[in-house]
Amino acid sequence: MLTPLLLGALALALASPVPRVLARWTWLRHTPVAAMLLWQSTALAAVLAALGAGLSLVTHRLWEGRVDAPDVALAVLAGGVTVVVAGRLLLSGHRTGTTLRRLRRRHRDQVDLLARVDREILHRGISVLDHEVPVAYCVPGMSGSRIVVSRSTLTALDPAELAAVVAHERSHLRARHDLVLEAFTVLHRAFPRWVSSAAAHHEVQVLVEVLADKAAVRRADRRALASALLTLAGSRTPGGALGATGATLAARVAVLRDTRPHRVQALVVTLAAAALLALPTSLVVLPWLSGLR
Amino acid sequence: MGELEQAVMQALWALDDEQWATVRQVHESLADRGLAYTTVMTVMDRLARKEFVEQQRDGRAYRYRPRVTRAGLTAELMRETLSDMGADERGSALVSFVEDASPDDIAALRRALGDLA
Repeated sequence: MLTPLLLGALALALASPVPRVLARWTWLRHTPVAAMLLWQSTALAAVLAALGAGLSLVTHRLWEGRVDAPDVALAVLAGGVTVVVAGRLLLSGHRTGTTLRRLRRRHRDQVDLLARVDREILHRGISVLDHEVPVAYCVPGMSGSRIVVSRSTLTALDPAELAAVVAHERSHLRARHDLVLEAFTVLHRAFPRWVSSAAAHHEVQVLVEVLADKAAVRRADRRALASALLTLAGSRTPGGALGATGATLAARVAVLRDTRPHRVQALVVTLAAAALLALPTSLVVLPWLSGLR
Repeated sequence: MGELEQAVMQALWALDDEQWATVRQVHESLADRGLAYTTVMTVMDRLARKEFVEQQRDGRAYRYRPRVTRAGLTAELMRETLSDMGADERGSALVSFVEDASPDDIAALRRALGDLA
């Protein structure tokens, strides 16, 4: 009876209090690679623990000793909940995936009809839209991604700043950050509000930007990246800034200013991420599975 | 393929407003590119399927015209882009270099930039 309880408790902890605490630990952003691993292993461990709790309750009721009517009822209930959790995840994954792919394909088609593709060495392959609002973004996609800027972005930024922006966007595409974001969007849409998936989703968004910034300053100038951020964010601020929900800009600036290496922190956080998956598996799940024979 | 679609679309946009064009007309206006007639037809058919152009049967042939003007399509695209950037975190289709920022964020960024110098 211990296995379902342990896994259930773990699932609950990883679903709500843990993400809330992790989101408050903003120092994690200074080791973005390790922090990203920690978030991913937290989410994966939460899902596995939730599914494992249900399944182990079923096996405990039906495999061991005499099976009475209450055992069957409880097993059916646990099995039902497990199926619902798995089903919600699959459905959310399917919906999110198809919606994003449709939106991106449509957007890419439109960009391809309208944009001039630059052949200058400095920004080869960039789609340039003829518009006066400065934007810079990428459209991710398996079958062809695009980096898009508007004409006014080209005039607002100097060559070093533009190089930093392009390096940032290329890093998003190369590292397939869209897939990480998509996975956390799926989780966010699959579960009720008390699961702290909004905090997880937001923090992963910040980390993705921090990672792309780090990749950009490896190739380009740190100062150029910061001034490109200032130019592009400053020129597009809406009236009362009511739409500003992200607050990722402040986080990115904080990390950008910090040039110290954080090797110990990176190691500790990476180990924590590994432990989060390895410990429950070896201490709880393996004994349960081997006890089934 | 994208470049070809853009060329055909440009040719259609270059027509007067509300005017329907045949494949032959578009083919002729793109004569300097040396494209096969069937290529132009395929591209226009695809643009119709993607709903960038409207298609109308006229006897044995089809006639085409853009669904919106070039400026209209650009405005559509930018509206979508900006609302994606201003949107709450949930499931953005695009990954923007910088999303909408508050004046406080921008002030902090300006101070930080001073320190980096």
